[in-house]
Amino acid sequence: MDLNQSMLLLSSWIGQIGGFGLDLLWRFIHLVVSLWYIVSGIIEAVESYAISLGLNKKYSSINIAKLRCLAVVVDIEEARDVTKVIELLQWLRTIGVKQVGLFDSQGLLKKSKDLILGTIPGSMLSEEIAEKDFSPDQNRLALEFISSSDNKEAVMKAANILLQRYLTSSHPENDKGENFFTETHLNEALRVVGENVHAPDLLLVYGPIRSHLGFPAWRLRYTEIVHMGSLKYMRYGSLLKAIHKFTGVHQNYGT
Amino acid sequence: MLFLFSVVFTFLALFLIPGLFISRRLSVSFSLKNIIRFFKITASKYDDEEERNGKRGAMGDKEKRAMNRMPKHVAVILDGNRRWAEKRGLKTSEGHEAGARTLMENAKDCFAMGTNTISLFAFSTENWERPEDEVNCLMALFEKHFKSEMPYFQRENIRISVIGNRSKISESLLGLIEEVEEATKSYEGKHLIIAVDYSGRFDILQACKNLAMKVKDGLIQVEDIDEKAMEKELMTKCSEFPNPDLLIRTSGEQRISNFFLWQSAYTELYFPNVLWPDFGEAEYLDALTWYQQRQRRFGRRV
Repeated sequence: MDLNQSMLLLSSWIGQIGGFGLDLLWRFIHLVVSLWYIVSGIIEAVESYAISLGLNKKYSSINIAKLRCLAVVVDIEEARDVTKVIELLQWLRTIGVKQVGLFDSQGLLKKSKDLILGTIPGSMLSEEIAEKDFSPDQNRLALEFISSSDNKEAVMKAANILLQRYLTSSHPENDKGENFFTETHLNEALRVVGENVHAPDLLLVYGPIRSHLGFPAWRLRYTEIVHMGSLKYMRYGSLLKAIHKFTGVHQNYGT
Repeated sequence: MLFLFSVVFTFLALFLIPGLFISRRLSVSFSLKNIIRFFKITASKYDDEEERNGKRGAMGDKEKRAMNRMPKHVAVILDGNRRWAEKRGLKTSEGHEAGARTLMENAKDCFAMGTNTISLFAFSTENWERPEDEVNCLMALFEKHFKSEMPYFQRENIRISVIGNRSKISESLLGLIEEVEEATKSYEGKHLIIAVDYSGRFDILQACKNLAMKVKDGLIQVEDIDEKAMEKELMTKCSEFPNPDLLIRTSGEQRISNFFLWQSAYTELYFPNVLWPDFGEAEYLDALTWYQQRQRRFGRRV
């Protein structure tokens, strides 16, 4: 009886010690992981401020000519804060970016375009700049406002145009439409429905979601995609770093 | 001192030693790195809203919630085979061979962890521009692995679909593809989609063309053409989950390079700085941990 009790006591002790040991290990791992995230966050912030203040010479000269067109995707929650978007555009203008596409899925920025264009000196809609043919040395910022309606909906409209052309053409019965449905034809049809088919070189995504949130698919073929975190906590240094990193990227386009 | 010893002993007895035997059986690489990853992934699985509010459901509910946070469809752009070979002073073909081995190992891990569909961007339309030797090597690898893995696909009930433009593919490979697809077409639950000579733009265009043919043949009306109709004509129509939840592109390149352009609108994009042949189980666990910590909203407010 005594032996039985002592065995039970021993096993409960082992159980308690084991439970405590595993709990300790669990908390220790959580602590290590949390510390790692905190430290890496601090390092990132310090580096960003150093870049902003021009202390890091590596980022002082950027080959901005390589970045012909930049697109910014803003999460729907963050798109409500237009002042932050304006601040971002002013930074981009300072860096020397000439063409920017602004995207949010519900077109909130499209609705605020007058406010944005009125606040940023030298900014114009990209289609207006194309029409007026300004000299490249002028400090202009071409802006394009994009929403979900410019994505799949626009492709469907363009596809319908091609379909109508195909059906009204005098095609032989065995024609499978090879000559009607090509990239060139769809690009042309997209232009007809008022879409810009210019593919951005770099896409900056602001918000908690790490996807491109429905940015026009047709234009994303070889675009570099960088997730920038929240627009609320955006930093000039991080922006400069992302653009600098892009200018050093080599693409071989699958070859 | 005795207390410390007992803690260490208990940890070894309850966790590490049985773990070593289990890992041998399950061929899981057992290391502190993986233990930490296991803890991270377990924490992210169960640390959801209900847990924080103190509402504890039955174990079945917990498991269901965990499975809901597993990606149903994972797409992978296999990048970095050539650089991997170059770094080791090997031939390009050896890099591709190593990549093919990694591919099968990862597919097995991926299915084992509850993913239903895996899409692999194995060969893009642009890849035809590569040196002829390399293209031939890749095509030979496809043939070799389709043959050698066929028993595994059948044993595990994995359905195989090959998507892309088949016009340039050799007769022998085409025959093999059709044979594998036919042999596995009735399988459900696990689906491996391999993209060969695929491009996202080609996919969109062939969908438009298919719709045009259907209108011409009187199968549908022009008014019926919408996004849903378009999606039914994309090459991923073969899948129960046509849109990927998670897209992994290895080698640190941060672009989707003409893969699943239409399908990836709300796909979580993960760009690990690892060359494809080095992308093992631990790296896949990292990707899962990362995915489970994201919040997918599909452009809506929450």
